[in-house]
Amino acid sequence: MQPLTDIKLGFSIYYLSENAVTLEFGHEISEDLLQQISSFNQLINHHPFTGFETAVPAYGTLSIFYDPIQVIRATDLPGIDCFDKVSAYLYQLNNQPAQIHNVPYNLITIPTCYGGIYGEDLEEVAALHNLSADKVIDLHSSTIYKVYMIGFVPGFAYLGGMSAQLATPRKPSPRKVIPKGSVGIAGEQTGIYPLQTPGGWQLIGRTPLTLFDATRTQPALLKAGDQVVFKPIDHHQFEQYRD
Amino acid sequence: MRIRIIKPGILSTIQDLGRKHYLSQAVPVSGAMDTLSARVANIAIGNPDHAAVIEFTYADAEFMTETDMLMAYAGDGATLQAGDIIIPPEKPVFIPAYTSIQLINNPAGSRTYLSVAGGWDIPEVLGSRSTFITAEIGGFNGRSLHAGDTLASTETFTPITATIFDRLKGETITYPAWSVARRMFLPADTKHIRIVPAHEFSWFHGLALVNFLSLPYTLSMNSNRMGYHLDGEPVTRIIKNELLSTAVTPGTIQVTGNGSLVLLMADCQTTGGYPRIAHVAAIDLPLCGQLKPGDTIYFEDISHQDAEMLYIEREQELQQLREAIQHKYL
Repeated sequence: MQPLTDIKLGFSIYYLSENAVTLEFGHEISEDLLQQISSFNQLINHHPFTGFETAVPAYGTLSIFYDPIQVIRATDLPGIDCFDKVSAYLYQLNNQPAQIHNVPYNLITIPTCYGGIYGEDLEEVAALHNLSADKVIDLHSSTIYKVYMIGFVPGFAYLGGMSAQLATPRKPSPRKVIPKGSVGIAGEQTGIYPLQTPGGWQLIGRTPLTLFDATRTQPALLKAGDQVVFKPIDHHQFEQYRD
Repeated sequence: MRIRIIKPGILSTIQDLGRKHYLSQAVPVSGAMDTLSARVANIAIGNPDHAAVIEFTYADAEFMTETDMLMAYAGDGATLQAGDIIIPPEKPVFIPAYTSIQLINNPAGSRTYLSVAGGWDIPEVLGSRSTFITAEIGGFNGRSLHAGDTLASTETFTPITATIFDRLKGETITYPAWSVARRMFLPADTKHIRIVPAHEFSWFHGLALVNFLSLPYTLSMNSNRMGYHLDGEPVTRIIKNELLSTAVTPGTIQVTGNGSLVLLMADCQTTGGYPRIAHVAAIDLPLCGQLKPGDTIYFEDISHQDAEMLYIEREQELQQLREAIQHKYL
């Protein structure tokens, strides 16, 4: 781990609601922004202010949620209202020399059974790109993806890094039921459905892993900043994993 | 204390004040749609505000008390009756065992909250008892209530709850003369919703913004605990940038690609990629929780400083209410 000292990140702060402000770091999808947002997320969680509840990272923003009653009563925070008090604290936190480390993100392997009943659209996706099904699997499973944010449904990871060769439009009409664990492609994105939901993604495979489980201490398997690789498995291995 | 659901009605779920600490894993807040009514129902019997309540949607539901009960209800979806006897809202009510209670339609709103002494005994999932049906978490086995379900209260009564119960218990339905007067907290016009301009407010045409702040918007049939689609004058954009998905919260008003408005509610996603025109002031979000398809609302803008001040004043008023009830009984 490399220590990052005295970081000063560039962000502006805007009002989101009575109990939240948003820090805006930028307007594009980039690993640099991901790193900045992850660093500040770590910083605020290690140095919370009175009333801090949680921080929600997204592509270009980090939103800070708090209890306004605790914030307004906090005498250690300068300012006339919660927005002022929280903003002042966040700017000051950013300007303080702080020992913070590059967050140790995990590399998570997602065993995936491609094609057949596990990924009904694999052949269609392959045909659309004039590729063999094996080539699609190869392209999809030979990339290291980055988790940019978790959103949409509990535990759903927005992954960046898919080969442009695999970019495929959504299904013309969404399926009513997509089994949980389905690995899909929509436009230039790939992702894994943590829950059984309706959806319009092209399904190329399925993982036996549980992406979201409310009984775990960390319910979502993935978090922003994690790296993800897909490892092809056959249907025997899929059933073994499930047992 | 225990009840059995005879008829669950259209959608009855266990809710509290929401799940606040897992937003970064895309777990929605959930919780009562009308948090004011849920809190009033709890405060009236000396429960903590965040105790689990049942959220009934409209009427046509029925339950049976299986023990002597201390309960309260609040909200505009239904009036509770035991046969011909009307049970008054917003006050503690003693109900003897084996009383059948029906929810009778109240055209004023859509949701009614039922509290019980000690709160409904439901395990916490991720720090809340609220039901989020999509992920089958929280509440009664992660689902809405069905006929035949039995719900028990916890045995943990506050001193106020225990005292109220002792004073009221008897052979028949009994309640005190006082009530909470929830109306005191509501504006004269409950269809007038105060908003704070949101971050993308300036992405819209000036005329569109004038329309947004002056014309009526009507809840479409496509409205549920996740959000309300609003029919009305479309809001056109002057800045056509793509917005990268970012955090949204209940109360956020998004504008979809065709210019129509979506007001996000309790079960909304934690992030969204539609530009946000406004955010409903927290003080008025409970009013939105009582809306039903066909209802017409108007938006009025206030500053974020005013929204925050109104929020804090409301919390102080609720604290005074708690203290007043405490003084009455302890």
